[in-house]
Amino acid sequence: MATKSNTDKITSDLLRPIRLNKSFVIWMGFLGVSLVICLGAYGLQLKNGMVVTGLGDYVSWGMYISSFVFFVATSLIGMLISAVLGLSGQKWASPLARIAEIIALAFASVAGIVIILDMGRPERLLNVIIHGQIQSPILWDVTVVTVYMIISALFLYIPLIPDLKICSEKLKNLPPFARNIYKVLSLNWNNTPEQNKIIKQTTRTIAIFIIPVALAIHTVTSWLFANTSRAGWDSTIFGPYFVTGAFVAGTAAVIIAMYFFRKNYKLQDYITDNHFDMIGKLLVLVSLVYLYFNLNEYMVPFYKMKESEAILIRDLFAVNHAVLFWSVQILGLVLPIILLLFKKMRKPLPMLVIGIMVLLGAWFKRMIIVVPTQEHPYLPIQNVPLNFKIYTPTLVETLITIAPFILVLIIITLLAKVIPIIPVHETIEQLEDAPISPKGDLK
Amino acid sequence: MYTRNLRIVTFAIVSMFFLHSFAENNWNVPADKKARNSTIKFDATTSKVGESVYTKNCVSCHGDPTKGNSLKSLSPVPPDLASAKTQELTDGELFYILNTGRVIMPSFNNVLSEEDRWKIISYIRSFNKDYVQQLSISDTNKSQLVKVDMAFDKKSNQITVTVKANEKTGVVSLKDDEIVLFANRYFGRLQIGESQRTTADGVAVFDFPKDLPGDKDGNVKLVVKVNDDTYGEISRLKTMKIGVPTDIPSMTADRTIWNVLFKPIWIIVLYTFGVMVFGCVLLYLLYSLNRLRKAGNI
Repeated sequence: MATKSNTDKITSDLLRPIRLNKSFVIWMGFLGVSLVICLGAYGLQLKNGMVVTGLGDYVSWGMYISSFVFFVATSLIGMLISAVLGLSGQKWASPLARIAEIIALAFASVAGIVIILDMGRPERLLNVIIHGQIQSPILWDVTVVTVYMIISALFLYIPLIPDLKICSEKLKNLPPFARNIYKVLSLNWNNTPEQNKIIKQTTRTIAIFIIPVALAIHTVTSWLFANTSRAGWDSTIFGPYFVTGAFVAGTAAVIIAMYFFRKNYKLQDYITDNHFDMIGKLLVLVSLVYLYFNLNEYMVPFYKMKESEAILIRDLFAVNHAVLFWSVQILGLVLPIILLLFKKMRKPLPMLVIGIMVLLGAWFKRMIIVVPTQEHPYLPIQNVPLNFKIYTPTLVETLITIAPFILVLIIITLLAKVIPIIPVHETIEQLEDAPISPKGDLK
Repeated sequence: MYTRNLRIVTFAIVSMFFLHSFAENNWNVPADKKARNSTIKFDATTSKVGESVYTKNCVSCHGDPTKGNSLKSLSPVPPDLASAKTQELTDGELFYILNTGRVIMPSFNNVLSEEDRWKIISYIRSFNKDYVQQLSISDTNKSQLVKVDMAFDKKSNQITVTVKANEKTGVVSLKDDEIVLFANRYFGRLQIGESQRTTADGVAVFDFPKDLPGDKDGNVKLVVKVNDDTYGEISRLKTMKIGVPTDIPSMTADRTIWNVLFKPIWIIVLYTFGVMVFGCVLLYLLYSLNRLRKAGNI
């Protein structure tokens, strides 16, 4: 049974980070200044046009679109941890659900912005809607990304309602207006049995509904490529290939976030070594599935060596992109799988290093999927300068590419500052249901 | 021995180079064509029109005049048309080159109208400050006196073209003139047979193909072009019901994946269904939140 002192300890532990402190201000200041620098670079792009980037007629999708795919991919983690693990009764994952949802919401909302970065004439954005062609995967993508964003926001908000009430009651050091916002957002929550029932029902509905939406969002993103007949993109397994790749990237992102939240918010009692151990195993599982899809994706065309595919495969395996290709596959996928098989490696610090490796690998993997194909069109490239044939990103382009990452960090930092990142109400409830210690050690 | 071989090789290379450049420069323009002048006066307006025609048809190989950015990978390299070498040519020579083309340069005789061709030259000349135009002394209004008749004979499947001019002194047959017959197609014109010279009666006969598709009634738009030294270039259009009736539905008639007007039903249904399901779920969630708020009243 949960004792009063236990409940109070949990509440005070989990609500402690919700206050202004020096490190938060410094961190946000750093992010803000970095963002301003990157926005300056974007100003250059707006003023001079796409000529400031390395993009051209042949490679018209470069770092921006690779980033877009990466952002959509990472946002899928919300669905995996909160919905799939939640529905399948994996109780260990429930303290991580909110972190996963915050990551999902941040990455999904910024993904849309990344697309705008790739537009030479962003003021024509509305034309996508006004003159949108229902046959085009681009329109479907705009639709599903928007839907996923709304659903993710609700998936974050609805289970948060009881916690918002706790915030408004317990955070006495906050100014009244802030506590009032919590109160309004907590929708008259009084912990009645009916309210508990409604919240369980709706959370379950979203958890079920978000699975097809999340699958759709990344499958449609993969169709942006797979629905063309270009060598390297013309693949029937691109949907599941992207989805599994997304789980790898998202799990790595959650691991990194877990490490920093645990350390900075002193949540060692709630995000335990056991959580790292479990999510390490989860990363091995999703990475193995992704490795299997990689094997299919590259082995089959490599075996057949159809002319157009062969040029691309040679380029990836042994010529221009070979170093990046093999680094991504080995350092970003194979090595992490091997390392994570050892229990010692599933401790917080090694996991952080592995998580960063996997996440970096995941971003560069998107470059490997997006760029080389465009360097090898079916009709030979003739009479153009070398920089048209081989994509080389510029400094301005790199700065602009960094901007959405900063934006994601800002959103995550802000959200984690105003809401408890470990569900308070749920943790207390679990304590009442089962006599487990708040350390989260599952027997 | 070695030096001798080297000399022979050097000589061969040098002479090949000269032969090559000789071939490049030698357009063999007949004297009468060389002396030909434009009937329109070159000014800023004609040069402006010429520039837009140039941009569509010439710039891809010759580059922008004075910029020296012609396509160097072609052989022979297309010259920069603002260069002294080009500007030394007479208007008649430029017009001839533009009309006939050679090796990799296409002929623009049947692609652009005479007016447009002269306007391109007007544009090219705008880069030459020392250029002084000599206008053609021929009367441009004379071409309006020419009457072109076209008659189709079903039996022989031939088109007879008769070219006559109504002078004040009486009707004159235009003899030994080059006549070209075209059928208008979706893109550009299709020349029918080879060009013919008119007889002393001003008559030229063309064999018409039996399998040329017309519109759904079999109509074909024919264009006759007459080149006469006195009357200038004359072009006449006539629609004749002599093609094979062909009814090809337009690209936007059926519901296809590429059609921007009528989209495939299955896509509309799937997309709308998806959006509606989302709408319903969203409504349900909002309704639940409202219920949640009300359930809080104790």
